[in-house]
Amino acid sequence: MPNSEPQQDLPPFVKSWKQFYRLLIGWLIFLIVIFYAFTKYFE
Amino acid sequence: MSGIDWAVLVCTLVVIVVYGIYKSRGEQNIDGYLLGNQSLPWYHVCLSVMATQASAITFLSAPGLAYSSGMSFVQFYFGLPLAMIVLCITFVPIFHRLKVYTAYEYLENRFDFKTRALTAFLFLVQRGLSTGITIYAPSIILSTILDINTTYTTLFIGGLVIFYTVYGGTKAVSYTQMLQMSIIFCGLFAAGVMVVHLLPADIGFGKALSIAGKMGRTNAIDFTFDLDNPYTVWTGLIGGFFLQLSYFGTDQSQVGRYLSGASVSQSRLGLLMNGMVKIPMQFLILMIGVLVFTFYQYNKPPIFFNSFELNKLEKSSYAPELNTLKTDYDQAFKDKQLEINKLNTALDQDHQGSIDQQRLAVKAADDKEKAIRTKVTDLMVKNDEHANTKDNNYIFLSFVTQYLPKGLIGLLIAIIFLASMGSTASALNSLASTTVVDIYKRLISKDGSAGEYLLASRMATVFWGLVCIVMALFASKIGNLLEAVNILGSYIYGTILGVFLVAFYVKQVGGKAVFYAAILAEIAVVICGQMELVAYLWLNVIGCLLVILFGLLIQGVIGKKKTAEVANSGL
Repeated sequence: MPNSEPQQDLPPFVKSWKQFYRLLIGWLIFLIVIFYAFTKYFE
Repeated sequence: MSGIDWAVLVCTLVVIVVYGIYKSRGEQNIDGYLLGNQSLPWYHVCLSVMATQASAITFLSAPGLAYSSGMSFVQFYFGLPLAMIVLCITFVPIFHRLKVYTAYEYLENRFDFKTRALTAFLFLVQRGLSTGITIYAPSIILSTILDINTTYTTLFIGGLVIFYTVYGGTKAVSYTQMLQMSIIFCGLFAAGVMVVHLLPADIGFGKALSIAGKMGRTNAIDFTFDLDNPYTVWTGLIGGFFLQLSYFGTDQSQVGRYLSGASVSQSRLGLLMNGMVKIPMQFLILMIGVLVFTFYQYNKPPIFFNSFELNKLEKSSYAPELNTLKTDYDQAFKDKQLEINKLNTALDQDHQGSIDQQRLAVKAADDKEKAIRTKVTDLMVKNDEHANTKDNNYIFLSFVTQYLPKGLIGLLIAIIFLASMGSTASALNSLASTTVVDIYKRLISKDGSAGEYLLASRMATVFWGLVCIVMALFASKIGNLLEAVNILGSYIYGTILGVFLVAFYVKQVGGKAVFYAAILAEIAVVICGQMELVAYLWLNVIGCLLVILFGLLIQGVIGKKKTAEVANSGL
């Protein structure tokens, strides 16, 4: 990762790009869990 | 289509095309024409990359895929958010810092011209072929509505897109894509609501999904590790990650989109928001297909969704046999409805034993219906050996034109046009960029004027537009268009990604080694693909890893040779 990460223009709900990346990974895990529940519920 | 639908369709298309031309006015150089002067905010970048990826194929094929085989296709996109993160960390800052026009330009700085030329060539081949399919998909619409051959509709749509793209540079493409995506979201939401509304009174949204689920259509997640299955969580996460990283990192049609961002931050934000929105959007599109599937359990679907091919058979000498099959089909549908009603009752009673029993009965009835449909396609081939026997891409279209209210039909058909225009415009723009920046400007005219390069860009756009139309004319022989595009991409993207990853992360490998490594890897990928050794998504992983492996090996050999030469000369 580059040493000087530009932190300007970040959305208000995150404090750094690293935090945004973690949030996106969390969102992906959340979607997989939700879709799994969906599959099991309706199968 | 009614007059209202035609009015909605024509107005939407005219507004978009005029808006595109208006926004592209005054472009005097290729900075503006190819990069939009790097001035766009993150939401433009986000909607633009989404519009580029979501072609008309997405809205035609995906619901058809869900109708035929369920929602497992959503897993294909699981690698996308991870790919967005890697792009934001590595690709975006490097491309912005070096102020490149195309991704391949960077490779000459890092390696040499032949590596740049090889990757640019692979991109031109892959994008040229897949854009042909992108143009063909919406031509199906006009073909169905006007009941004429897709050849004429392909020529018409291809011509319209070329006209629009030649005038609109990157900036106009991005502006119109923002408008297009807004209309697309609204139209899809309306379509979803209407499908539920058209279901029988006692079948709500949940019940519709339950019925589809019992018939194997809500299979969104599959955790089994099966290399031959293209749609599992692992294939999506690993194979999909490599495919998406190659697509967004090395395909100029996407690189050109986020290079138009006003800064590194704006490009990053646009890509990360795309990572958040893409999977839910795809899930909802597939869900519409599943709801259409349930709808057709209560309303008799056509015996074959492609009305053009069906009409041909009806007018042939095989008409009497077709009529017999139609009678059998009517009876099979009635039998299936009885079983579905029993399944519905079992679901209401929540009796697991009855549900399982009815599930099997419905499946048997469904298989009977499928067998009749197979007999119809066999007849089509007997009548015309070149007949298109795949009708997946017509399923959603057939539903829209037959059952949705006036006005909404026009809007949904406009959406398919808009999606096609957006992705095709980006593709033609990127093909022109690569041709002019990586070939014309580099090899033919190094010190040309701004006007000359702008003219060359426009001429390259026209040339590629014509090539894509020719490719589109061959696309009718391909089954599911969405899969075809992804399979084609998987043959090439992995190798290109491998070259870029070596460029970024494996500093000891030089131009000569990576060039031969890429050629060897591409040969290996083609062999694996042709022998069907693994599901196609894995070809991305294989191609990428082989470039890195071969690159290191070849560099090792070259290094040893050089050391030996130095040692010899010293003696």
